[in-house]
Amino acid sequence: MKLKRCLSLVRASLLDSLQFRGALILTFVGNLFYLLLIYYLWKAIYASSDSDIINGMTFSDTMIYLVFASALFNFMEMWIVWGIGRNIQSGQIVVDLLKPIEFRSFVFFSGCGEPIIKFVTTFLPTAIIVYFISGRAIPLGKNLIFFTISVALGMLINFYINFFVATICMYTQSIWGINIMKEVIVGLLSGASVPLAFFPETLRNIVMYLPFQAICNSPLQILLHNEYPVSEVLVILGIQLFWVLFLMIFTDLFFRVSVRRITVNGG
Amino acid sequence: MESIIELKNVSKEFKILNRHEGVKGSIKDLFSRDYKIVNAVNDISMTINKGEIVGYLGPNGAGKSTTIKMMTGVLEPSSGEILCNGVIPYKKRSENAQNIGVVFGQRSQLWWSLPVVESFKILKDIYQVPDKDYNDMMELYSSIVDMENLLHKPVRQMSLGQRTLCDILAAFIHNPAVVFLDEPTIGLDVAMKAKIRELVKTLNHEKNTTVILTTHDMGDVDALCKRIVIIDKGKMLFDNDIEHLSELFGAYRTLILSLNKKGTKCDEEHMKKLSDDVLSLLSEEFSDTSAFSLSFADDKTEILIDESKTSVVKVLNAVQKKYKIYDMHLQDISTESVIRKIYEGGI
Ligand SMILES: Nc1ncnc2c1ncn2[C@@H]1O[C@H](COP(=O)(O)OP(=O)(O)O)[C@@H](O)[C@H]1O
Ligand SMILES: [Mg+2]
Repeated sequence: MKLKRCLSLVRASLLDSLQFRGALILTFVGNLFYLLLIYYLWKAIYASSDSDIINGMTFSDTMIYLVFASALFNFMEMWIVWGIGRNIQSGQIVVDLLKPIEFRSFVFFSGCGEPIIKFVTTFLPTAIIVYFISGRAIPLGKNLIFFTISVALGMLINFYINFFVATICMYTQSIWGINIMKEVIVGLLSGASVPLAFFPETLRNIVMYLPFQAICNSPLQILLHNEYPVSEVLVILGIQLFWVLFLMIFTDLFFRVSVRRITVNGG
Repeated sequence: MESIIELKNVSKEFKILNRHEGVKGSIKDLFSRDYKIVNAVNDISMTINKGEIVGYLGPNGAGKSTTIKMMTGVLEPSSGEILCNGVIPYKKRSENAQNIGVVFGQRSQLWWSLPVVESFKILKDIYQVPDKDYNDMMELYSSIVDMENLLHKPVRQMSLGQRTLCDILAAFIHNPAVVFLDEPTIGLDVAMKAKIRELVKTLNHEKNTTVILTTHDMGDVDALCKRIVIIDKGKMLFDNDIEHLSELFGAYRTLILSLNKKGTKCDEEHMKKLSDDVLSLLSEEFSDTSAFSLSFADDKTEILIDESKTSVVKVLNAVQKKYKIYDMHLQDISTESVIRKIYEGGI
């Protein structure tokens, strides 16, 4: 019965997102430009280097990683910070707070539609195209199953981080600055814009202890390295699972405290 | 009668930063501790019974919406206790939400880009309404409003009136014990207001739903509410049946009489003399002269009668013994004018 509620919200969100076909096409085109940009950027970086391999990655390794990273990060993002932030400012949040479902679950399931659609319209085609262009450089095997699990965990981590940032909006009443900060931090530290291998050693060591790398870096490592022993993959998944649980409890507590002091705007 | 909502000495304070103007002021605000306390709701107590329609009235900023937000659980009272269906709303917000329906006039809970029937189905699922109950409710809706025209229209293409109507239908879909309507008729035309009143009345009657309604339209109040609660500046001014409202002023009615033959010259002097004559006549007839007072307007003589002391019929009787009454007219003090007097501080 509870499942039906969630499915119903997902369905609504799917229907809702499908109304905005234009936006989907725009994201697709925008992403193409982004890929073109990073192609030339990294080409220049590799051209200026003495060796074909930088930090253990060839040019094509890097490109494959980055194309996947952008496709992955693109479909994972739910844009809930803007949505919740706006609703806090306008007072519309009361309407969602008065649903007989926990607010966070309501937001999650009502935001699911876009990722699902983007997965089908952006991620899958990209993956297939890259697979063939790269001369089948992506290993196909058990890594695909682990990758799928890892993506799901990464998505949850990203959602909880967004939910945390959205909750902060209850105190600041302004969204813009906070959201930009979040986008920069997550974009960089998750490994979505630069492979972590290119980070300076100390920074990389620190980043490995933060939840962000578990969003993008973890699933991509699993996907691109079929040679990892299962035990190593399980460690990566274990760390992701730890972050999911930690953030699940933390954001819940933080929201509970925050919602008590909200003063819902508007008469 | 069985009570469904109870408020005991409920107050709500808002802490508001005293903002300064301009860029310099805004920067100053960042570090300011200069707060002002607003007592939005101040020591309100009331008990609402099952099946009642209560009009919750008061001028803008009186604290109506704040009270509703506390009763629904989105705001926590600063002090006092609230029980709704036996639960403390802000402690069990989701649980409480299952038993209530809410419409905030300027907001919609419908899915904007979807046909309204989709919203209804989603609500059916999230409130876990059984198929049969849902179908029965739809049937009931169809018997009150023309659903066929509405159901398949995307919400964003609806007029404000249609949208509000659908929002009210949506609030009742899970057959909640209590429905809160916060200014539902604001900005609607007369026909839509009438439809909404009928809808609320029928649903209250059929499902015994308790309704708490805030509005500035006394037509809504007269059509729907037996009991009204008036607050101003967060304080309760009145809580009783609507009939008792007029008693606040004494039970006054105005009897308006035409005592002049057509063509009589009704100048001020003549009318003044006439009303003095009538007054002396009535004074002979009745011992308590405080029961009425006289005035005139154009060619009409107006007698304001305190019905707790004498009756209109007796006065009429006394007058027609001596005068021929060409026309008469009886005027109640309207709810509207009573409430306006209360808002203006007439009490
Ligand atoms: N979120 C808020 N923050 C600060 N003050 C508020 C807030 N909401 C309402 N108030 C103040 O509380 C008072 C009552 O507001 P409200 O309950 O909306 O009145 P009504 O609904 O009767 O018009 C007003 O003075 C209003 O300015
Ligand atoms: Mg209000």
